[in-house]
Order: sequence, then structure tokens, then C-alpha cells
Amino acid sequence: MSKVIKIDINSKQGLLDFLEHLLSNNEISGVMSLRKINENGICDYGLITEVDDLKSIEPFAPVMPVNASHILSSITPAKKPIIAIIKPCELRGFVERVKRKQGSMKNIITVSYTCGGVLPLNTFQSDDNEKIVSEYFETIKGTDTPENVRPVCKACEHFIPMTADITISVFGNKDFNSKSCLMMNTEQAIKLSKSYKCEIVEKKMDDKLMDEILKKRKAGKEKLYKEIAITKDGLDEFVDIFGKCIGCHGCSRVCPICYCTLCDFESSNYDYKVDLIENELSQKDGLRLPPDTIFFQLGRLNHMSFSCIGCGQCEDVCPAGIPVSSIFKKVGESTAELFDYIPGKDVEEIIPVMMIKEQEFPEVGE
Amino acid sequence: MANNGAKISFKNGLQNQMRDFLKECMKKGIFDAVVLPVRVPANDSYAWILMNDISIVDQANPIPPVMPVQGAKALKSLTRKGDGILKIATIMKPCEIRATIELAKLSQVNLENITLISYDCPGAIPMSIYNNLSDDMEIFYNDVVSENNFVSEKMKEVCGFCVDFSDVPDDLHFGFTGLENEVYIIPNTGKGNSVLEKLEMKSSENLSQWKKNVADIKKIKSKNRIDIYKQVQPTVDGLDNLQKTYEKCIGCHNCQSACPICYCRQCFFDSTASEQSANTLIDIAEKRGGIGFPRDKIMFQVGRMSHMSLSCVSCGQCMDACPVNIPVAKIFSFVSSKTQNTFEYRAGFSGDEPIPLKVYKDDELSKIHEIVKNAESDGSEHE
Repeated sequence: MSKVIKIDINSKQGLLDFLEHLLSNNEISGVMSLRKINENGICDYGLITEVDDLKSIEPFAPVMPVNASHILSSITPAKKPIIAIIKPCELRGFVERVKRKQGSMKNIITVSYTCGGVLPLNTFQSDDNEKIVSEYFETIKGTDTPENVRPVCKACEHFIPMTADITISVFGNKDFNSKSCLMMNTEQAIKLSKSYKCEIVEKKMDDKLMDEILKKRKAGKEKLYKEIAITKDGLDEFVDIFGKCIGCHGCSRVCPICYCTLCDFESSNYDYKVDLIENELSQKDGLRLPPDTIFFQLGRLNHMSFSCIGCGQCEDVCPAGIPVSSIFKKVGESTAELFDYIPGKDVEEIIPVMMIKEQEFPEVGE
Repeated sequence: MANNGAKISFKNGLQNQMRDFLKECMKKGIFDAVVLPVRVPANDSYAWILMNDISIVDQANPIPPVMPVQGAKALKSLTRKGDGILKIATIMKPCEIRATIELAKLSQVNLENITLISYDCPGAIPMSIYNNLSDDMEIFYNDVVSENNFVSEKMKEVCGFCVDFSDVPDDLHFGFTGLENEVYIIPNTGKGNSVLEKLEMKSSENLSQWKKNVADIKKIKSKNRIDIYKQVQPTVDGLDNLQKTYEKCIGCHNCQSACPICYCRQCFFDSTASEQSANTLIDIAEKRGGIGFPRDKIMFQVGRMSHMSLSCVSCGQCMDACPVNIPVAKIFSFVSSKTQNTFEYRAGFSGDEPIPLKVYKDDELSKIHEIVKNAESDGSEHE
């Protein structure tokens, strides 16, 4: 059971009212949220400190221009309390970043919501934005995930925020347009809401409803994984999938987990002397230029896969249309499973690579 | 450009002829290896392959319908650390050759042992279109090449207004604009001449008809170019318009990493030098009432422009790689035409001409003094 703030206006207005109260009473110093930046509905993430500017926020817009964990990293540690309204996978991404000392939870109050998925950037940023978005919200009043969201969203089982201070019910909430329910999950959130005059009730999330959504998402996952099933052994399958990779490394730059300022694969370690290439050519008859296309993908998987939160940014920015995210999510889940690890679940949990157990993978030893 | 070339008639298509030419060169030891585009195993794209086995040359497609990786980048990965011992030839699109020449000036490519071969380019199909329909696009592009169609509307937008589709300082050039089942092999440099000599090919054919054919196509493209630049100009005029044009930008920097000229291992705008502390960002937000992310969208675009526009070859890779469909290449092409004109420089047209930023003249851009002066007096009026 959690304490729930109930307001009799639609969910966006209710949240806005709460935020306006907190900001004007200096309970918080700013709000980080998606906000509308033009008449075509295009959104970016903003850090808003002025009460009047809060009206531009679109906290539930089904789009992810940047994975918000990147932005949270850049504005933390915050010296004064900030409310961040982000999607469940962005929150998990931030938790993974904090574990890697790339951000701090200090003074960050997280608001998240049950997420129906995000639309690919090109779908959201189209001339039909208004129609597409209203259809989206109509669909997620029920338990079906809209067909046009990112492929990984259709397969996402973690649509309920794991560590949010405040949770809002969006996906599956038929009263989304008439009522506001802010679920206060932590002491920090309850303390913050004390000065806010409102009706507070004890309430629990509708487990039956959530289970129904989860069941459908699990089926979605099965379908997605079947689509990207490995049918050939070894490298051949990788060559088939990643053969069209142009090596732009956009996937790694937008990834919330890939935080390195300079990726190893862009470092001079991979500038080969021409005699080395010529020597390899003499043994192989043909060499791809630039080299290391598959090596980069495998290396990145190796570095970040067990922390992959399946947000889908990599796939959205891939100019070659490779289903990067679907593959990384699948591989990531298998690697994380080996360590009983769920990325973004608990900020206190240690990342598997940071921990050594004497008895680990004995079968590999054999 | 040379005035004479060797003429070859062919029956089985131009690309076959080009492959045969390379194979002959390899057999005679003129080249030890070649770098050519080969369709990837899944058939949905092309990759640059360095090959020394003559039998693999048959798998290559010297005039591919797409440009997944700009050829200059392939040569950079091969020769960034210096020249090797193998004599290597490559066939690339004219803008790839021009980018290569710019990279050579920037010491990122070593052309000592490389022979650059190019051709009259029909353009490239946008990657997103090719990727999904590769087999159809292969057939379509084959027709484009065999029909000598240099004005197909299916190509990348920059190709539609590329006036330099034939003009390129390559060592050897395959010229076929307006010809039927014939091609001129044109030596533009000493390197090119010596290849033809070793093949005992006489470059004695007069090229005036071909040049006229090229000029005719150029006229059409020039007109397109004027039209496109007219469209682009108001979208980048002043900071407000620039901001509007780039408001969709998500700061992924794909444009920069796909760009053949942006060779920095780490872009300044990705470095810690351009990072601001959390406190600074919050302070700015408090001062302004709010800030948007990613930060420095315009700063990055303008910064990149000022770094590379003098060497921009308008290849369109940036636009192909943009996940939010900003017409980056049209903008950069327009701005570059302005900056390059200012210094009477054309990117990639001559290996000998130094990049303007490397040349200092005592008397240069005197107009700027006036602009600054005027701005200063404007400023004092406001006070």
C-alpha cells in the first residue's frame, strides 16, 4: 500500500498543479521533463525553473529524443532538489549510470509512470503528430500496446517504474483523462507532498490489470525474439545482421550505458598500420575497410549488455536500419540472467563485473 | 582535365568493362590490390573490400547504387598511418575522390601508392530506400547506369544538384556521359598516364563531344542547385531560423561521424572540454527560467561548419545518417559554397592547392573589418 494523492482533474493537469505548488513554494528548484517546443508537437527535455514555463511540459509524451539518463547525469549532483519526470527505462538507465559514478541520486526526486512505450522519432516527429499521439493515448487506456511503438517497447516487461519516488498510472488507466493519482513511494516523496493540500488515500496498484499487460508484453517479447532468432552458427549470422553497419557508432553515442568519453573502438588502438593490413590481406584475399565492424558490436555487447535496459535509442538512430536494440536487449537479458541481475532495479546492487565470486562459472573452467 | 583519352567499346555493360580493366592491370602487375564496393552477404548494402585476388574482382560492383561508407573513410582506415608496399587502385564516386584529396591535405590519407579512379556519377540512392528494397534498387540502378541517366530523381537530394558529377582530379577517369556502349578512359595525372602506357593503350581520342555532353547535364544540375540554395537560404539566415531548422536535432552527432572530412578522433563537442558542470547548468536554467537538452545544438552545427565547410564535398552522408531527417547536407552544401567562394577554393579539386585555413595572407577578408566596425557603431547607438 502506498499513499496516493488524488486530484479530480486529468493526470497531466493534476501533476502540473502539484509541480506548480512545489516550485512556487521553493520545495523544489526545478523540474526536468519533456516539453513541447513548437506547434508541430516536437518535444525536447527541459530543465524548468520558472513556474510559468511549466505549462509547456508534456510529461507523458510517447517520445524519447534523448534517453533522459544522459541529461540527469549532466545536472547531478544537484545542489537543490529537482523533480525529474522520466520513463521507466530512463530511470533504470540512470540507476545504472549512478552505479558507474556517472550521476548522483542526490536531490533528485524521480517521477515515473506505467509506460505504454515510445513512438520511433520519425513517427512522432511527423506532420500527423497530433492524430498519432491521440490515437496512442486512446489505445493505452486498455491493456494493448500500440502497434506503432518501438519494437523493444512491445517486448518490454518493465513498464512499471522500479525505483521511482512518485509513480503515476498511465498505461491501462481508463481514468487518465479525468482523474489524477500520484503514488508516493518513498519517504522523500511523502515529505515533499506534506505542504500540498489534497486528498490522500491508501491505495495499491491494480495487480490484475498489470498482470494482464505483462502477459501481453511477454507474448510480444516471444514474438520479437523469434523474429531475430539466430539461425546460423557463429559469425555468419552476425555478418548477415551487421553487414550493412556503416560504423557511425551512433548506437553507442545515444546509449545510456555507453558513457565513455572516447569509445575504445574510436581510439588509436584500432588505427592499424598499413603493413599489418597488407600482411592480413596476404592471408585472406579480401578485407573489409574500415575494419572491425562486427568486432565493435561484439565489444560493445561485452561492455554494456548486462546493463542494457532495452530503451531502443540505438535502433532509432541507426541510419542503416539494423534492429540493434532488439538484438542488444535479447543478448543483454541472457548475460544479465547469468548473474541474476536486473539492470536498474536497485541502486545499491553491485554491477556483476565489479564483483568477484570465487565460485563462478565452474563450467567455463572445465 | 585532360583533353584526350582512350576509347573502349563494350558489349557486356560498363561495370564489366571496368572490372576487366582492373583485372588486366592486376595481371600485368600494375596494381597489387584494389579497393572496391562489394555487396554484403545479406545483399542489403555494400562494403569496401580491399582485395588482391583477381577472382574476387568479379564480385565487386564498381558503380554501386548506394554510398553506405564514404570511400574516403575506407582509404583513411588503410593509409592513415602511412603508405604501404602494395600498389593499390580504387574506383570511387567523384565526391569520394574529392573527400580523399581533402583528407590527404589534412594528412589523414596517404596517396603515395594509391591510384584514384573515378567515373561520371549517376548519383547514389538514399541508404534508407536502398536497404529495404535492395533487389529492386539494383535493377533500377542498373538501368540508370546503362541508360546514361544522370538526372534520376530517385537519387540523394545532393546528387540532384551535384555539378561536379564528372569533374574530379582522379588519376584515371571513366567518361561515358552521352555515349552508347563506349567509354573513354581518361588519364588526368602522370600516374594515370603511366597506367595506360603500361597497358599499351593510346589516349589519342579527342574528348570534346563527351565534354559537351557533360556540360549539358551540368547545366540542368546548376539550375537545380540555384533552386535548392534559394530554398535553403531563408532556413539558415540568422540564429532564429537556424534554431528553428535544427530544433528536431537530438545531438547524436551521426552527421559528424558519417562525414568524411570530420576526421578528429574525438570531436571537440564530445569532449570533456565542452562539458558544463551540473551547478553551471542549473545556474543557467535558473537565470533563464529553463533550458533545453541536448545543450549546444546550434553551437555544434555552427562549430562543425566552421571546422569543415571549406572542405565539404557535398556527398550527402550527413543527411543520410540523420535520424530525424534534418536536411543537413543541403544546408552544409549551401554554406560551404559560400565559404569556399570566399577563399576562391574548391574542396578536392586540386591536390596542390592548400586548404585556406593553412594559408595566411596579410591582406585578407578586409570586408570583415567593415562589418565589425558597423556592428560596433550599431552597438553604441543602442547604448
